[in-house]
Parts: sequence; structure tokens; C-alpha cells
Amino acid sequence: MSRRSIALRLALMFSAVALAGFALIGFAVHELLARNLARHQQELVDDRIEDLDYMLVHGRSTDLADRVRDKIAALTGDGRTQYWLWSKDPAWQYGSDAARMAEATRTVQGSMLMPVGADMRQFAVAGRDIAPTAVHPPLRLVAGVDIAPITQILRSFEIRLLPVMLLGALLVAALSYRVARVGLKPVAQLSADARRIGPDTRQQRLRMVPLPLELDEFVGSFNSALDRLDAAYTQLESFNADVAHELRTPLANLIGQTQVALARERGAAELGEVLQSNLEELERLRTIVSDMLFLARAERGERASRCVQVSLAHELGKTVEFFDMLLDDAGVKVDVEGDAEALVETSLFHRAVTNLLQNAIQHAPRGARIHARISSKGGEAEVSVSNPSEPIPPELLPRLFDRFYRADASRPNSDANHGLGLAIVKAIAAMHGGRVFARSEEGLVTVGFTLALPEAAGPQVG
Amino acid sequence: VKVLIIEDERKTADYLRQGLTEQGCSVDVAHDGIDGQHLAVHHDHDVIVLDAMLPGLDGFELLRSLRAVKNTPVIMLTARDGVEDRVRGLRAGADDYLIKPFSFVELFARLQALTRRGRRQEATLLRVGPLHVDLISRRVVRENQRIDLTAKEFALLELLARRQGEILSKTTIAELVWDMHFDSTTNVVEVAIRRLRAKMDTPFAMPLLHTIRGMGYVLEEREGAHPVRP
Repeated sequence: MSRRSIALRLALMFSAVALAGFALIGFAVHELLARNLARHQQELVDDRIEDLDYMLVHGRSTDLADRVRDKIAALTGDGRTQYWLWSKDPAWQYGSDAARMAEATRTVQGSMLMPVGADMRQFAVAGRDIAPTAVHPPLRLVAGVDIAPITQILRSFEIRLLPVMLLGALLVAALSYRVARVGLKPVAQLSADARRIGPDTRQQRLRMVPLPLELDEFVGSFNSALDRLDAAYTQLESFNADVAHELRTPLANLIGQTQVALARERGAAELGEVLQSNLEELERLRTIVSDMLFLARAERGERASRCVQVSLAHELGKTVEFFDMLLDDAGVKVDVEGDAEALVETSLFHRAVTNLLQNAIQHAPRGARIHARISSKGGEAEVSVSNPSEPIPPELLPRLFDRFYRADASRPNSDANHGLGLAIVKAIAAMHGGRVFARSEEGLVTVGFTLALPEAAGPQVG
Repeated sequence: VKVLIIEDERKTADYLRQGLTEQGCSVDVAHDGIDGQHLAVHHDHDVIVLDAMLPGLDGFELLRSLRAVKNTPVIMLTARDGVEDRVRGLRAGADDYLIKPFSFVELFARLQALTRRGRRQEATLLRVGPLHVDLISRRVVRENQRIDLTAKEFALLELLARRQGEILSKTTIAELVWDMHFDSTTNVVEVAIRRLRAKMDTPFAMPLLHTIRGMGYVLEEREGAHPVRP
């Protein structure tokens, strides 16, 4: 039974519990019955002794011995009772083995069990001394009662108890299975609900209203998992729409320009112009596709390979040098402070820092100073670039790293980066076991990323 | 330069053949792995352009069997830029790889880099028409006029002069002048070219530094070229 049904398991467990309960009760009843039967047996023997005792103590007739024998014969007619009488006077002796019986019972209080007669049946026996009177010497009177009917009662109780207990347990199992099935009905209902949820009905959730307490939490977590998936799905959908949109403009230009060019006879120079313009659009498409592929690689969890141990300040310096002429044109200065050693794939690091610097230059006013900082703490190196800027509302800061997100909606197609620059920074950080962050405080916007340092979580060197 | 193109996509193979032929290469083309392997093994080429996904025999297999007999330089073209493909290609013995979509200028630059290896002549004085670039004294003279350049401007001019007549993409320039090995979307190279041009071209009658829109830049003396405004 590899896949166990809850109802079946509950039924089995309940019947096991019931069986244990029945066994306990059965044992107690059995003990009680046995004790009562033992007392009853004692009383029977006592009664038998009592029957003769009165006669022996109070009888004064001379033929008392014969009358006692008659009485014994009458009392033992059914074979269930036996008497023994012992004295030194043979006239006052009765029953075989009377001397032994008298002696045996002398040592016990109450009754004892003994095998009696040729067939060795179990008898409960007890004896009593009777003081001498005018008509007889000192006597020992012993009475025995066949206990077979009593043990029979106990035995038949035991024999009946076992099947009754098993039957009861089975009954409990069957009933609790039914009950569990009824109790689990909400689960079946949930599963029916869940079956109705699909890509077209993403808004649907499991119904919360009439649920048992135990399922409440489960349904809550399940629904919030669905919420998260829904959000991711929606983001993916809008992302696809964004990609389509980004590709649409260059495609439209390409088609339109080519059609216009072909509508009339054109000279070679004119056609050359069109081809060159087309090539620019195609380059734009290529860049978007390559960047998308790059992001997809990072998203698949690809890590930076070909990592080398470098001084981040040195590499950052090289990137700033790359920007020298651009900075000069923009009238912006960059200072670099701090340093850390880290394992990085340098081309990826340059790319990330380039995108950060480009972002900063784009948003910094003329004459501004851009600060590039490197620090290391807690197993990671941090690289950040700050530039003076209008404050960005805190809720928008994380969105800076979204693909195609542009803080400045008025420049939707500024050809630099296609709105993928910071998304690529995030991807590169992830490829080095790091993350990105953005702050906006005191007129400075700081955007940066971290890199896991070798001791903490070394990127694989390959 | 003898080039073998092994590529099943007809349009790609056709434009590569045309482009490389026009650049002065002699080109063989194979459209599947079996033909490709035959040509690669039985003929001598200076360089092979090999698509990774081929009918008949896939690019990696072909490369492995080729490497067993020959060391012809190979540039792999792959459509997927997963590390696995890259590593697989390089491990199988590829000398370089390009990820589709790649630009023709880029491919040509890599082809030249592979065929130039080991036979670069180290000139100390480069001439492009009236322009003289002295690599030792780091002096630039045009029509008897000394031109002052910053270090980076000089490095840029040196690269263009060494490869005169060859179109250099922005990516190649960024790689060789600034050591930035990625597809940059910045306009750093444009700005640098503009500055260089302002110093060594604009003051003179004949432009030497030409922009090839959508492709890159080339330094060469052209008959009947018109002055270009920056």
C-alpha cells in the first residue's frame, strides 16, 4: 500500500484504539467475574459444611452416626458434593482417604482446590473441627464442591469475549471509515476547486468559506502561492508585451523604409542610404535579442565562468578610463574610492560597471561629480555608483532593475541600452552570487551590486 | 585567404560567400556536415567557418574528426549562447566562436585575426596617404603639420592605421583600444572617433577616416572623397 488513503488509515487507527479499549474492559470484567466466582465457590463449600455442622453440634440421638450418613448420602446425590468425616473412632469415619483430606485442609484458611475421586475432578474443599459431644468424639468435617460449573462459566465468558471484541473492532473500523470519508469531503471539494484553476482562470482561488479549521491554513498558503505565481505570470506576460513592443519599432522602420525605397526607381546612392539606415535598425534588433539571451542565461542560473582574482578598483578604473571622453563631453567627473579583491569574470564586471556609469552620466546634471565606491564586508564586495539626481520614490527603486523599465518615460527610445542596462547589472550580479540595490537619499541616487567573495560562495572557476 | 564555409542555412551561406569573396577571399561552401567534412579534410583552407547545428554530421562531431588529422583554424557559429555550447565548441578544438545573430564585420575581423596570427609585420612607421604615424616617437604628421593626440586617441589611430582599409566595428575598437570585451551600447567609440577626426581630418581637404553606417569605421585614402563634417 504505497499510496495510503487517509480514511483507511484513520479507520485502521481507530479500530486499533477500539481493540485496545475493548481488551482493557474485557480484562477488567474477566477479573471481576473470576473474583466473584471464587467467592461464590467459597460460599458453596461453607454452606455444605454448615449443612452438617448444625447436626453434628446439636444432635443428641444415639444413632446420630447413621443419621449423619443418611444425610450425607442425600446431600451428595448429584455427585457435585463430597463429604469426609474423620475421627479416631472408626464409627465416625466417612469417605475414602478421609485421614488425608482432614490433614490437607488443616493447613489452609478457606477452601483449596484438589483433584478428587477416580476421575480426579477438581473440587474446592474446606474443613472444620467439631468439638466432642455426648454422642461423638472430636471430629474433623471436610466438604468439597465440584468447581467444574464455575470454571465452565469463566471459560465460556473468555471464549465469547474474544470474537465480540474483534467484531466490535471491525465495526468501529467500518464506521470510522465512513465517518472519515464524510469528514474528508472538504478535501474532495478543494480538489474539485483546484481542478478548475488554469491559465485562463488564474484569478480563481480555493474557496475559504465553509472550511474546517485544519484546512484553513493549508488553503491560505495554497492561495498565496497561487497569488505569487499569478504575479509572476502577469509579469511574464507584460514582459513579453514589452519585448514585442521594443521589437515593433525597428521592425516597422525596416518594413516602411524598404517599401518606400522600392516604390520608385532609385539611384544606387539613395538605395545605399536606405540599406545603411536599415542596418542601424537591424543592429538595434540584434542588440536587443543578444541582451535578452544574456538575461535568459542568467535567469537559468548560469554562473560566471572564467573568473579571475582581480582588484576591483583597477578594473573599475579601466572602465572609467573607457568613459573618459564621454565624461569630458558631459562635463562630469568620476572619483573612485575603496578597493576589494574578488573573483570576477572581467568582461562581465566591465559590462556591469559600464551600465552603472552610463546610467549615472545620463541622469547627472552638467558639472556634477559621480562617486564610484568599492567596499567589502560580510563575505561580499560592494560596488556602487552615485550621482546627484532628483529623488526617486522608494517604491520605484527596486523597479529600476526591471527589464524595459524607464524612470524617465519621456525618453522611451533613447537608443542607449533599450531599458535593459540595469537588468543586465542585476543578471551579472546574480552570475557572481551577488545582488543589486538602489538608494535615493539627500539628492543622491546610488545604484550598485554585490559580488560574493571567494570565502563565502566562490563562483566556479572554469 | 582560402575560407571554407560549412553552413546549412542557404541565405547565411550565400551572403557569407559573397561578402568574403568581395573582401578578397577564395571561398568554398558546404551545406551539410558530410560534404563539409570531406572538403575540410581533403582540401587545404586557411580558416573554416563552421555552423554548430548541421544536417548529416553535427558541427562538434565534424570538428572532432577534423582535429584528429588537421589544425586548420575554425570559427564556430552557434545559435545558442549557453556555456555548454561554448565550452563544447572550444573543447572540441574551435579557435573562436560567434553567437548568432553576429555581424559580418565581426566575423571578418575574427577571420583576419585568426589568419594573421603569427605573420604580423611589425612596422614602426605607418602611412595612410598623407598621414604618417610614427609608433616609436608617437608622433603624427599630416601634410607637414604635427597633430597632437592624447594617449587614447593615438591608440585609436594606431589601430585604424595598422588595419587601414579594413572596416573596424565599434566592438572591435572598444576591445583593442580600451580592453572592454563586451558588446557595449555606449557611444564612447563614436565620441572618440569624432575627436580624432576633428584633429586629423577636419582641418584638411581630404577625409581619411570614414564612417560606414551600421558597421564601423575605416581609415583609408579614397579617390574623390569629400570632406566630412563631424
